[in-house]
Amino acid sequence: MGLKPVTSSDTEATTIELTLDGETVTAKEGVSLYDVISSTGKIVPAMCYHYTFDPFGSCGMCLVMQEGKKAPVRSCTAKAAGGMIIRTEGDDLFAARKKGVEKHLSVHPLDCPVCDADGHCELQDMAFEHGVTDLANAKQKNIPEDTRSLVLDFNMNRCIACGECINICKDVQRIDALQFMKKGGFTQVVAKGDQTLDCEFCGDCLAVCPVGAITNKYSKYAYKPWQLKKTTTTCNYCGDGCQMYVETKDTEVTRVTSPLSWKNKWGDRGDTVNGHGGLCVRGRFGFQFIDSNARLKSPLVRTESGLKETPWIDALDIAAGRLAYVKKTYGEQAIAGLITARCTNEDLYVFQKFMRTVLGTNHIDSSSRYGHVNFVRAVQHALGATRMTNTSEEISRAQAILVIGANITETNPVASLRVKAALGVNKAHVIVVDSAQTNIAALASHPSLVKPGTEGLLIQGLIKSAIQQNLIDEDVTQQSPQAFTALQQAIEHITLEHIAQQTGLSVDHIHEITKVFAEASRSLILCGEGILRQVNGYHHVLNLIDLLWIMGKIGKPGCGINTFTEEANEQGAVDMGVGPEFLPGGLAYTSSEAREKLSNIWLTELPPENQGSTLMDILKQCRSGDIKALYIVGENPLGTLPASCEVEAALKNLEVLIYQDPFMTETGQLAHVVFPATTFAEKDGTVTNQEGKVQFLRPIFDPLGESAMDWHIMAGIANGLGSSLDFEATNDVQREIMKVLPGYYNLGQPAKVQVNPDPYLRNEYVNEVSTRYSQASNDAKSQRPFMLKMIQLIYHSGKLSTQASGLLAIAPNTKQLHMHPEDIERLGLVTENQVRITTDHMSLELGVKADLSIMPGSCSVPEHFNDPPVKDLMTIHVDPDTKVPYFKQTHVTVEKI
Amino acid sequence: MATSSNSLAKKILDAVFFREIWGAMKVTFKHMLHRPMTFEYPREKRTIPDAHRGALGLLRYDDGKERCVGCDLCEAACPSRCIKVISEEDKSLPLQRYATEFYIDITKCVFCGYCVEACPVNALAMTKVYEFSTHDKRTLLFDKERLYDIGERYLDDAKKYLYAHNQEKEGEESVAYRYHFPVPVEKSQDS
Repeated sequence: MGLKPVTSSDTEATTIELTLDGETVTAKEGVSLYDVISSTGKIVPAMCYHYTFDPFGSCGMCLVMQEGKKAPVRSCTAKAAGGMIIRTEGDDLFAARKKGVEKHLSVHPLDCPVCDADGHCELQDMAFEHGVTDLANAKQKNIPEDTRSLVLDFNMNRCIACGECINICKDVQRIDALQFMKKGGFTQVVAKGDQTLDCEFCGDCLAVCPVGAITNKYSKYAYKPWQLKKTTTTCNYCGDGCQMYVETKDTEVTRVTSPLSWKNKWGDRGDTVNGHGGLCVRGRFGFQFIDSNARLKSPLVRTESGLKETPWIDALDIAAGRLAYVKKTYGEQAIAGLITARCTNEDLYVFQKFMRTVLGTNHIDSSSRYGHVNFVRAVQHALGATRMTNTSEEISRAQAILVIGANITETNPVASLRVKAALGVNKAHVIVVDSAQTNIAALASHPSLVKPGTEGLLIQGLIKSAIQQNLIDEDVTQQSPQAFTALQQAIEHITLEHIAQQTGLSVDHIHEITKVFAEASRSLILCGEGILRQVNGYHHVLNLIDLLWIMGKIGKPGCGINTFTEEANEQGAVDMGVGPEFLPGGLAYTSSEAREKLSNIWLTELPPENQGSTLMDILKQCRSGDIKALYIVGENPLGTLPASCEVEAALKNLEVLIYQDPFMTETGQLAHVVFPATTFAEKDGTVTNQEGKVQFLRPIFDPLGESAMDWHIMAGIANGLGSSLDFEATNDVQREIMKVLPGYYNLGQPAKVQVNPDPYLRNEYVNEVSTRYSQASNDAKSQRPFMLKMIQLIYHSGKLSTQASGLLAIAPNTKQLHMHPEDIERLGLVTENQVRITTDHMSLELGVKADLSIMPGSCSVPEHFNDPPVKDLMTIHVDPDTKVPYFKQTHVTVEKI
Repeated sequence: MATSSNSLAKKILDAVFFREIWGAMKVTFKHMLHRPMTFEYPREKRTIPDAHRGALGLLRYDDGKERCVGCDLCEAACPSRCIKVISEEDKSLPLQRYATEFYIDITKCVFCGYCVEACPVNALAMTKVYEFSTHDKRTLLFDKERLYDIGERYLDDAKKYLYAHNQEKEGEESVAYRYHFPVPVEKSQDS
């Protein structure tokens, strides 16, 4: 890190003065000279420089003259010092740079016409700029092309050995999958050890490659940059909300590129706290579902011989007619709706307005119910906020981060780079508590591998340890002495030895991580699916807030509790009030003030406040026959929930099932009316990322076939029901959202989260706290020795990504159970063996695969594939407070067949 | 008065001897004596010079391989935007680029020859074909098959065009236009 400013979050570098082309310039000490020059707006050519990593100094283009030196110096690797006199222009420098270009070109194949980088190539630009027309002594490298990797081809004939790919992989991604190797007399970039590239396939190396040495297999030779139409939109896979460029030819998506590129190489490394502009494997290579042939192209209506293509007008009429019939015959309470959190804010807003005003029901829910609601409800209950309390900038600058139950590099790869930056650049302490050896744990300072399902228990241990070691902030606890006494009483019966034995950590280790976390001035918590999607998730988040509270870290700058979301707009679903307990703004549905304000805007009454069922209750009522009509937007409960929920029976029991999605799913097969919806790429609207940033989706082309945007379909049904929603364009919906939630868009900059724990500590806390800590000794030993977990893969997101052929090529459904090699050996298995997994109610057969990241005694299966239906093995627990269904892990027996 | 009686007598004489008709017929008779200036198109055709810019055709190498590498430079060079190239990796010959589809809308073409000039492999050439009349305008959107057909049928003309425009070189030098596509790593290890 030598050449970047010595400024860190805690210290400021001294200011120096130097002369650039006759003008005096001030800069921070220790900065690269190249950064100083580019900060004045002058552009000195450089091919190996990128602001996201340390200067490498291999291209020899950024030459400047320094007074007192005879030869030009490379400005990128030179440190700016006070009193330097620098000249950046002149014929001698031009000639020297031209020589540099000629040196590169003399071993370059000059196959520009077939090269994918043609027209987007820095070497080409440089050759043009410097007028290189004649090459003496040019030679060919004749290196064979490395096509072994699944997504990237390495044509090392074209490589200029700038090292950008290696540096970004090492310094930003911290994966270090590439290296230089001298082969055949040339320095080449190869995957580590000259093996087949096996990494996260984020493709950042592809983005920064200034020539065509690294190419994208999925779009190889299929385009020239000038043929493509480039649309800036927001990735729809996870809650990170990365900006991306979808590049299309007519109605075909050719490739996806990122703001990160060799083209925007100038910047301050400090800016990367808000993202380095890159994408992950899903965003960059998982675009094929957009123009997939499997897309639904026209509305379908169930007839005696199955689902039949029907014109829009008839399908809308049938849907509206049946909803009107159910409403008239059975009342509003017989109608419910489910929507996916991949929809835009506008879709979600119109959905809840449509359900609440036109149909008059409050039985609505979104897929944020699968876990994110636990976090929102806990943070709302205890702190009065409705989303994560820190910004990604604060995560980058943190001194200690407790990553608990969150495999962030798999679920939210780009947001995890903020943690990696904290860890690498700012040398933060990172405590990773997980029941698997995750990638972030491998980098962390305090990896803490716990037994499956004991992440929540460890939180109690941390609190106990904090009190034992007197790491509490007495100024804060003294303000609510009653609450603190209640907490002390609640954890009295907990012993650290018991927790140590249950979790598999040593008492000393628990003490140490508590101490590290407490003593850092900016420490924050990142909790994930290991907390939110496990039994008692809601209580565990409240316990984590307790931990912050007793350490005096609530409301302090740089401290707080955070989560990353799995689907793109789970935060937006809460903000738009999709959920029976929420109103737009994440306000409580029962809040009379908010209800009045809303009914003034909507000019109609809201459904009564005691009504409203969540996902699991809706399905239960469908089964019991209380709900007769269900409107499903992009959700697939049949493919998601275990068979024990009897979703199929529930859906078959319905009189009307209206289903709208870009793809046909198991749920859609049971529907009476199916509407073809567009994917995110054809939508016009906004999504809110986990941080609260509202970002735009822009349509890349017109909706495929006859598909339509989700809210257009809702507005169409509303029209059919005789009540117009009065929305013509997305702008109209946005205008109403602005009326309901002033300042929500805020130019994409989230408002700062205000936290206030006092009302909670003063009121409900004393009563609640004892219930939260009572599960400590609850360890019913199961007869079945293995803990089976459904996990997320980096290469997939929900079920959507299984429609993307590019991602399926990287991570197909292997139908394999991942187990620790020790367990495999103990069971006497070899890789070709099949195993039978048995739970109390069913069993199924899978292959087996050794995976060192799995703990002995547990095994896992990716949750993205339903074949074989591993989800059906799961038992389901529903949280009593938040109604979140927990079905991600269960005890199983594994035996050889 | 004298002039008017003179001109009157001249008029009468001209009328009697059909003088004007003789004057006109003089041109006719003159033409009967030398070779015709027009020819009977379309039964007879003019000899076209080698550098003539006519219909475009796509060429193959002597071994029958398509020259076109689908680089799209012709599309970029075309001032009337009448060319459309869609390229892809050749599945049968890995790592080789070729055009899967190639369209020239000859109704839009201005026959400037820039595309031929831009082509790095001399896959495009102009021929001496200039007759495009048809009952169906749609047939004037030349696709890849048609373009290769033209290239094959008028190969000599196309070659002559390239030599006339100093694009194709004789013998060994012409080989330099071919691309040496790299082979995959695995294959090179096998061999």
